[in-house]
Amino acid sequence: MDSSTASILVEVFFDTLGYWYIIIPTIFLGLIVGGIPGFSAANTIIILMPLTLALDLQSGLVFMISLYCAARMGAGIPAILVNIPGTAGAAATPLDGYPMAKQGKGQQALAISFVASCIGGLLTTMIALATMPILARVGFYMHSVEMIVVMLFGISLIASIAAQDMVKGLIAGFLGLMIGSIGTDVVYATPRGTFGFLELYDGVPLIPALVGLFAVSEAFVIIEKRVIVNHDEEPKTPNWHDTFEGVKIALKRWTHIVWTSIIGLVIGVIPGAGASIASFVAYQQSRSFSNTPEKYGYGHPEGLIAPEAANNGVTSGTLVPLLVLGIPGGATAAIMLVVMQFHGVSFGPSLFENQPKVGYGMFMAMAVSYVLMFLTILPLSRYMSHVTTIPTIYLAPMIISFTLVGGFVPREYMFDMYLALAFGVLGYIARRTGYHVAAILIGVILGPLLEKYFLWSLKKSDGDIMVLFSSTLGNILWVAFALSIILPIVFGMRRKRKLEVPAE
Amino acid sequence: MSMKPMITRRTLLGTGAAAATLTLAAPGLVRASTFPDRNISVYVPTSEGGGADRNFRAFSSVWKEKLGTDFEPGFYPGASGRVGYEIYMGKADPDCYNLIFGNMGPEVLNWAMQNPSFDVNDYFYFGQVDKDPCCLFVGAESPLQTMDDIIAASKTRKLNVGTSRMAHPASIGLLALGEKLGIEFNLIPLQGGKSTVAGAVTGEVDFSVLTSGSVIAAGDSVKTLLVFGNNVVGDRLDNAPSINDAYGMDLPEMLSARAFGIHKKAADDHPDRFETLSKTFKETFDDPKLMDAYIASKGTPEYLQYADVEECEAFKTAMLELGARYKSLLSGA
Repeated sequence: MDSSTASILVEVFFDTLGYWYIIIPTIFLGLIVGGIPGFSAANTIIILMPLTLALDLQSGLVFMISLYCAARMGAGIPAILVNIPGTAGAAATPLDGYPMAKQGKGQQALAISFVASCIGGLLTTMIALATMPILARVGFYMHSVEMIVVMLFGISLIASIAAQDMVKGLIAGFLGLMIGSIGTDVVYATPRGTFGFLELYDGVPLIPALVGLFAVSEAFVIIEKRVIVNHDEEPKTPNWHDTFEGVKIALKRWTHIVWTSIIGLVIGVIPGAGASIASFVAYQQSRSFSNTPEKYGYGHPEGLIAPEAANNGVTSGTLVPLLVLGIPGGATAAIMLVVMQFHGVSFGPSLFENQPKVGYGMFMAMAVSYVLMFLTILPLSRYMSHVTTIPTIYLAPMIISFTLVGGFVPREYMFDMYLALAFGVLGYIARRTGYHVAAILIGVILGPLLEKYFLWSLKKSDGDIMVLFSSTLGNILWVAFALSIILPIVFGMRRKRKLEVPAE
Repeated sequence: MSMKPMITRRTLLGTGAAAATLTLAAPGLVRASTFPDRNISVYVPTSEGGGADRNFRAFSSVWKEKLGTDFEPGFYPGASGRVGYEIYMGKADPDCYNLIFGNMGPEVLNWAMQNPSFDVNDYFYFGQVDKDPCCLFVGAESPLQTMDDIIAASKTRKLNVGTSRMAHPASIGLLALGEKLGIEFNLIPLQGGKSTVAGAVTGEVDFSVLTSGSVIAAGDSVKTLLVFGNNVVGDRLDNAPSINDAYGMDLPEMLSARAFGIHKKAADDHPDRFETLSKTFKETFDDPKLMDAYIASKGTPEYLQYADVEECEAFKTAMLELGARYKSLLSGA
């Protein structure tokens, strides 16, 4: 980095800080829209497009970026407290976040999530800024063959979840994959398993599936209890101690935050890949290389840190192909592209030559947003966690009505509300009969993506299956994948042997 | 002599009934004579915030002044536009208060691949807003930088070509080029314009074909080599020649063309209303405010082009014929 770039960065940083009066209210707006299922930064920016276009370039940019970051973090709040992941990117958050809330550690979980999100987001923003030209090249190497392996990293989580009851786990996973295959096929758009419903031609919509399987089914379950917090856990009065404890737990695992957020960053820079893939892959990797994999799924802080750090890593990652190549990495980045083009900014290789302040400004806006978010949101964890103490006779109907509306919002089809309800019933039956809803959901979310990359690869090779082993990077990833499956088994056996030795 | 009452009971009742009928019917009669007396609903078969949305808002912002009423868009994306059309044809009343804003290129090609549940002649397009020719382009870092490079490379291997979806005018343009040059290309449907651009830029495919508006928006990350129509924007498409000029072909323009459509029954049952719609639609094109609104919505000014019912119908028919001709290659059937 030469001195002129450094001086631009310093100047842009202080310029951006001057926009605190836009960033702070936008953070709260982002938290709200991120927390409401079905809403997201992308559709909020669309709704507020007239406002965004009316603002000057810098203000519009700061507004969009801080909304994007805050919405990403906001989606984790209901995922932790009431098992409602607001977006597919937060789908892995409740795996360990919600069990923590049920154990009366909702406030702690929120603090862990905020720290992981802010540090993960801030760190990856800095890495992205420093290594932008290199990161932008990732998309040039990660093609459909390589993405198949990345998908398999995430999908192999089904096997981990199924570990306790392999048959039921695999049945749930395959059911999810089958549901994920509903819709028109990727190549010739032939409808499959749509039962004649036009609304299913584009596949099972994610938000209704997500809120149905997690939130609606959970509402059916919690209605049988007085409050979300388990009977054997005394509902605690929220106190600052829990927040600080959460911060301490997260900071102690700083290395975990670092490497899982980097997974998010790398997946985020691949055009078309997104936060849902990143959070599941990060969770799977975190579990695979943990010393205590058996704690995952029962409220383990590392199981919460991994998806939250990763999905915030994606946030900065999606900006890289947008700024360097002019290719938006995700839906929100695509809308940013439209708004910025309206202001006469042309993205692509020439951006940093012609308008360096705009390019660097976007990253600086992200960095400043994360810093201000940390300071403004962390104290709120104490008050947010009150949700878990609301009697379920009020909470469950609110969750159901809230999530059904959330299911409706993305496409505005009544059909999607019925679908959310149907997934809720499916989720409830699954829970009551010992099938894991997360295994179903992984299939629903990652199945169609795996199929897409698989069919592209086969189409490109005229049906030659050996295309899967045709690239060097792909083969390295295959080896890494095999190791991530085998090594935890080896480590597990070794741990078991160590535990057995003293007994003898 | 008793005077005959001027108003008998029967007269009074009859007059009362007539007055009541007239009173109740009046709004209807007034409505019939003052179309439109309420907002027009527009079914858009793509997502909110996309190109069609921007284009619709720009056009309707001027059209509403001519028509004296507002437009209410409803977005029904899914299955390459099929969902929106099915909902429009199946659920919207054919009363001229419900229109569809679609794309006569890729969306009509759908019908050639797979019949919809309605008769494709039960609706027609009555006004084209713009037309955007498709083009062939490579990534800025691609080793294939000219058409000669592409032709030479295709002699050594089958080249993979990104397209937004199989049933797309750009795909037909490429297949026609392949037929002319005796080259077999491998079309890879990358599902959407953004992915199609990204595919060419990152090397997922050797090159891509797409509507040129999206290619212009990609800036200097891509380089256009050939236009499946006329290049009316010059260097914004890298001065790429038209396919007909470059290879002596007579291929009709492969276009994405956005247009307003209406139920045939609505136009048949309410010719006066349809006349009002058509007339004000045409007047909108004569208003210079339209070009300003179109440019403000990031439209390419050269692509803003009016076409009437006959021209739209000819376009639709040509698309259906081309779709039928290339069906086996585009649908795998």
